[in-house]
Amino acid sequence: MNPTKIVSVLKRMKRNFVATPYLHLAATGTIGLCLLITGCFIILYTNLNDLIEVWQQDIRIVAYIKDGVSDRQRTLLAQTISKLNGVKEVSYTSKDEALTQLRQQMKHRSSLLDGLHTNPLPASFTIDLVESQKNRVNVTLLSRKINEFPEINDVEYAKAWLHRFSGFISFFRLASLVVGLVVFATTVFICSNTIGLTLYAQRDELDIMRLVGATDSFIKAPFYIQNLIQGLLGSLLAITLLFAVYNIFIAKIEAYGALMATWEVRFLSLTEVYELLLIGVVIAWLGSYISLKQFLKS
Amino acid sequence: MLEQVTRFNESGKRHIIEVFHVYKNYGPRPTLFDINLTVLENEFLFIAGPSGAGKTTFLRLLFRDEQVTQGHILVKGINLQRIPRRKIPLLRRDIGVVFQDFRLIDHYTVYENIALVLEAAGHQARYIPKRVHQVLRMVGLEKTLHAYPARLSGGEQQRIAVARAAVGKPLILLADEPTGNLDADASDMVFDLFAQLHKLGTTIIVATHDKLLLSKVRARIVSLDQGHMEIKNHL
Ligand SMILES: Nc1ncnc2c1ncn2[C@@H]1O[C@H](COP(=O)(O)OP(=O)(O)OP(=O)(O)O)[C@@H](O)[C@H]1O
Ligand SMILES: [Mg+2]
Repeated sequence: MNPTKIVSVLKRMKRNFVATPYLHLAATGTIGLCLLITGCFIILYTNLNDLIEVWQQDIRIVAYIKDGVSDRQRTLLAQTISKLNGVKEVSYTSKDEALTQLRQQMKHRSSLLDGLHTNPLPASFTIDLVESQKNRVNVTLLSRKINEFPEINDVEYAKAWLHRFSGFISFFRLASLVVGLVVFATTVFICSNTIGLTLYAQRDELDIMRLVGATDSFIKAPFYIQNLIQGLLGSLLAITLLFAVYNIFIAKIEAYGALMATWEVRFLSLTEVYELLLIGVVIAWLGSYISLKQFLKS
Repeated sequence: MLEQVTRFNESGKRHIIEVFHVYKNYGPRPTLFDINLTVLENEFLFIAGPSGAGKTTFLRLLFRDEQVTQGHILVKGINLQRIPRRKIPLLRRDIGVVFQDFRLIDHYTVYENIALVLEAAGHQARYIPKRVHQVLRMVGLEKTLHAYPARLSGGEQQRIAVARAAVGKPLILLADEPTGNLDADASDMVFDLFAQLHKLGTTIIVATHDKLLLSKVRARIVSLDQGHMEIKNHL
């Protein structure tokens, strides 16, 4: 493009905007709304993922040992278990230690325990897992294996929520994907229609341009640029709104205090911000492409 | 492949437009019927015929605004049947057209309307205003530079249309009833401009139903009636 064409393109962009300002604002708003929804999903998704990771740190298996198992048997068993695939460390809690721990947890109510004549608590192994093995399938398998040792009375791990939660996460993942695609397609559709309207409003002018020897790219250029700018503005709008909402939300949550000790609600990362901007631009580009192609074909 | 053969007549003049057995149908009945015509470079040609004869349709075929139903048209040796879409703008830059209905953009000023042609062709920014002033002076309308077409009289609009067709110094100028709205003086001015362009080497084709006009200008005349072309004086 030479300077003359660039100036002409800029002039026509201004003209387009002045001719149909609301249409252009609507297009920007639509892209903004789409990215707002997308952004919400990304934030929810990354934070839920974080939460799962935090919880996964806590995944460990507790195996309760039958009363009357000798020290030697116990040491051997500990060795066997620590050699199992995925086991990082096995630590032993004796009956006495278990009681002490319970007393500590109960604090001032620990006097309730004074009335006990025998220690009802079992000794146990706490089995820490290798990081990569901390998932539902492995935990289930390992627990079953450990439960088969005759010295073991019972095995405990956070079975119920682990199941439910990983189910929920894969559902959430799929749902975000579907919703994301639908929102994306809808936005592209709305955008291409908005641009289609501006094109239709100017069809005489565009026809005349073609008749006097303007190339398609000369005709298309202002629409593309305009839409890319709208896409960027829409994304920026969405990101600003998201950030505002996020801050309000965080302030509310912090009022509830230490609940969040191990889990910090994150905003979009810089990469995700760039990704949102990119999505906005892609939407605008696709919208322009579709509508211009349709228009120039006729 | 573009079929690009340039033919010349006996005196060495290039065949700039060649029309072979062209039919154009809009409905079942042909609007143009077996048209054969050769136009030489720098020729001044009238296409005369009554209203509805098919003059506008014929001109539209020449700059590929419409496609033939049957037959072939070569412009500068380029077969318009085979020209790729992206090359059409280049063809149109070689052909200035004065449309019967002017086709001015009503929210562009006169200046912008005319400058558009040069902008689209990518001329240098310095050259554009100079050239636009020049053609406006030639049609006697330099005062209307910043006016909008709708504010001008029909005759003034027609002359703006002529100025726009001429501004890009096209090889071929097609004028569809270019004096339909003009009085004798304005009409003379337009034909003076055509004569100037003709002297510079432009091929000029004027479609008209104005018999008076035919007697005023020295040019070859072909007549078109109900889609049939009759060529009285052959090359
Ligand atoms: N786009 C079109 N669709 C259908 N029919 C058309 C179209 N253009 C022209 N025609 C028909 O073709 C015939 C010739 O029309 P054309 O406009 O070429 O005549 P003309 O010689 O230019 O007439 P005039 O002197 O009134 O301008 C007419 O009968 C018209 O109805
Ligand atoms: Mg006509």
